[in-house]
Amino acid sequence: MKDSSRLAIIGAAALPVGWFPDQLGMDAAVLVLRKAIRDAGIDKKEIGAIYVSPPLADEWLEYHLSFARLVDEFGLGLHNKFTGQIQAGGAGIKSMFGAARGVILTEEPKNIILLHTQSVSGIPKRLPPEAIEDFARDGSRQYIEWEYPYGMNSDSRVALVTQRYMHETGTTAEQLASVAVSHHKWAQMNPFARFGNSVTIKDVLNSDVVAEPLHDLECSKLSDTATALVLTSAERAKSMGKRPVYVLGEGSGRCTHFSIVQKPDKDLSRLPGLSEAVESALKEAGVKREDIDVIEAHGGYPVFTLMELEEMGFCKRGSAGAFVMDGNTSPGGKLPMCTNGDSLAEGHAGFGTGFRTLYESVLQLRGDAGKRQVQGAKLVLSVFAETEAFMQFDVAILGKDLV
Amino acid sequence: MAEYKKPLPQITPLSEPFYKAAREHKLLIQKCKDCSKYVFYPKHFCPHCLSDNLEWVQSSGKGKVYSYTVCRSNVPANFAADLPYSVAIVELDEGVWMLTNIVDCNVDDVKCDMPVEVAFEDITDTIALPKFKPRAA
Repeated sequence: MKDSSRLAIIGAAALPVGWFPDQLGMDAAVLVLRKAIRDAGIDKKEIGAIYVSPPLADEWLEYHLSFARLVDEFGLGLHNKFTGQIQAGGAGIKSMFGAARGVILTEEPKNIILLHTQSVSGIPKRLPPEAIEDFARDGSRQYIEWEYPYGMNSDSRVALVTQRYMHETGTTAEQLASVAVSHHKWAQMNPFARFGNSVTIKDVLNSDVVAEPLHDLECSKLSDTATALVLTSAERAKSMGKRPVYVLGEGSGRCTHFSIVQKPDKDLSRLPGLSEAVESALKEAGVKREDIDVIEAHGGYPVFTLMELEEMGFCKRGSAGAFVMDGNTSPGGKLPMCTNGDSLAEGHAGFGTGFRTLYESVLQLRGDAGKRQVQGAKLVLSVFAETEAFMQFDVAILGKDLV
Repeated sequence: MAEYKKPLPQITPLSEPFYKAAREHKLLIQKCKDCSKYVFYPKHFCPHCLSDNLEWVQSSGKGKVYSYTVCRSNVPANFAADLPYSVAIVELDEGVWMLTNIVDCNVDDVKCDMPVEVAFEDITDTIALPKFKPRAA
């Protein structure tokens, strides 16, 4: 890909992930966005487009953000060309990359803002009890006909995946628990993490069973947060921004299904399309697996972290559990992975999980990751677009140098 | 019949034949007359070949547990009284997957690949939900 059509991240900002009932989603949005614009070192007149990820269960905020509220907040009226929302769950950020590429190829100004904000703690104030109950149905709510009558929610849906994955591969409960342990070790060094406590395999297995084989410490908790990224072309980034991070290669997975029982390969233990996505991203970036310094892959639940390692070719099928349990993905391990603690330990950003994954990638590549910095990190492989119903996994290879 | 507090299936013109048969404890699925593939959930046209030529056929009602979980906490409110309960994906002999509950057995006895057969639960006077129970292989 030419540098004029390749993307670069020239600004990034985030707020802590946690439970902040006094923080409105709109307040978080404007504060994080100003931080990102300043981080990029651009003038507000140079913003060509703003793409927003939908906040969870916040109709008023969604309406304002998807229209042009931010144009007013930032005084962009005479400059900005596009504002809008792109909704594809956690995978929406991949479509935002596509929209951003369209802007850098055809429009001026060529700086694009990607923004996510959400206030989960504010849901009880916004919704009546019956609507909260509806929200709690989570992924089943669209399938009021065929799924919700059976009492499934997002935890039990992933429990179905985890059970079959263990059945197929012989992965043990201890190995799965070790994923949560690895994530929590990283989160202890992440000042923005909601769950920065020390956790052992025993702690995980002793926590409440939510849906067998998943324990409470293996289930992500939706949290409040906001993240903003400023993108432009790699060509422009070379001469601007403090420390640009380049998107050296991208690979698109497949959107395989909406409902779990419609998954076309009839195999819950595999992620079709991910291995091809990694191959094409590596090829485009001109690098090999062994060149990768850090993996920043959103998983949300332990089973997806293991499946990602296997499908991406870093572990043989069925061996990722032992690989993680041996400490390879933990701080000091040979393949640092999910250095922010992933959704499980950092706190779950809803449709903004990819934003957190990319933000963490930027920190690592700039050398700004503090105590959890992977020394000399030059290349990050990121699974940045992923959805909890695991219908899609898209990857990007990010680098501090344009090769 | 005692008041049923859990969510009722939303019955639409498309799914009406399915629920009408369910009341008689018959499990219907769709089959494409053009490409011969079975279809579930009910659809307006065949998702494989996009043909309109779908017909309702009676399923054997037999299949096996593809995967399962036992819900033990943190479930939608009206399901709390049922804890623990089993949510499963059953692969029917015809090949399609159904999300369901495994009933008429101890939840701890459910296993992957376990043979099961349909067991209808009359949840109201007019609606029956297909669930599955263990069967001899």
